[in-house]
Amino acid sequence: MAAGLSSEDFTNLQLLLKAPSKDAVRDVCVQSHRAVSQRLTENTAATFSIPAAQAAQLIQSLHTLSHHVLFYNLTSPEQILAVFPESFHSSLKNLITKILLENSPAWRTEALSRQVSLPQLKELDWRVDLVTGSDSVSRMAVPTCLVQLKMEDPCPSAVGDSISTVTVELSRESLDTILDGLGRIRDQLSAVAGK
Amino acid sequence: VRPILFKERARDMPEQLVDMQWKLGMAVSSDTCRSLNSPYVSLLLKIAEPSGQISQKALEMTIPQFQNFHKQFKEMAAIMETV
Repeated sequence: MAAGLSSEDFTNLQLLLKAPSKDAVRDVCVQSHRAVSQRLTENTAATFSIPAAQAAQLIQSLHTLSHHVLFYNLTSPEQILAVFPESFHSSLKNLITKILLENSPAWRTEALSRQVSLPQLKELDWRVDLVTGSDSVSRMAVPTCLVQLKMEDPCPSAVGDSISTVTVELSRESLDTILDGLGRIRDQLSAVAGK
Repeated sequence: VRPILFKERARDMPEQLVDMQWKLGMAVSSDTCRSLNSPYVSLLLKIAEPSGQISQKALEMTIPQFQNFHKQFKEMAAIMETV
């Protein structure tokens, strides 16, 4: 959820001045975006030589900042710099902005793939069979298609597997009906793209 | 090239796809990204089990995935044509 940034957050961010290197700043920015964890807090406290309580606040504020940038899709340096108060340490502000800009595209892609959705299509496999006989008809030559769809549920239940598989058989008629439907989707896409 | 199997139909028939409903949508916004503008296709597949019972499966795909999906089905139809 996109929580707003407070002046306290910017105070916490200035703790980054205690970082031993620019890489350490980069690391904590990237890791705090993903999740705020006890382990990250402990590592940051050790790396920056600051108390755990301060490390926790720093990580939370970084998390809020990176998610703010993601939510509002701030993609230019000017847009991100404008988030900081006037009094904020200038070179630190520039470094943080650079790190956020570098990582934003990957964060956005990741957010898009993890958002609320129906199970996502993962794989489509198929095979055409020629059925040559059955218990009711001894000789025949009927082509059928066997299609297997693999879907991944982005919000799986705790117990269930996130990947589900559906295997279905399609007759020529069913396949034609499906193709008809897919053709209409394609037409709609062209119509929307053309606008 | 997909292998084509010649086989006898067993008494247990596989599940049949009986209907496919579709929707073309645009994801506008979410809790993580205020401005998404991300189109998607969702499908509702109706599947008949040998018993006659109908089950449903819903899924979503991106536009590039849909284009590949469409291409695969066209290939299936082309092969069915030649068999």
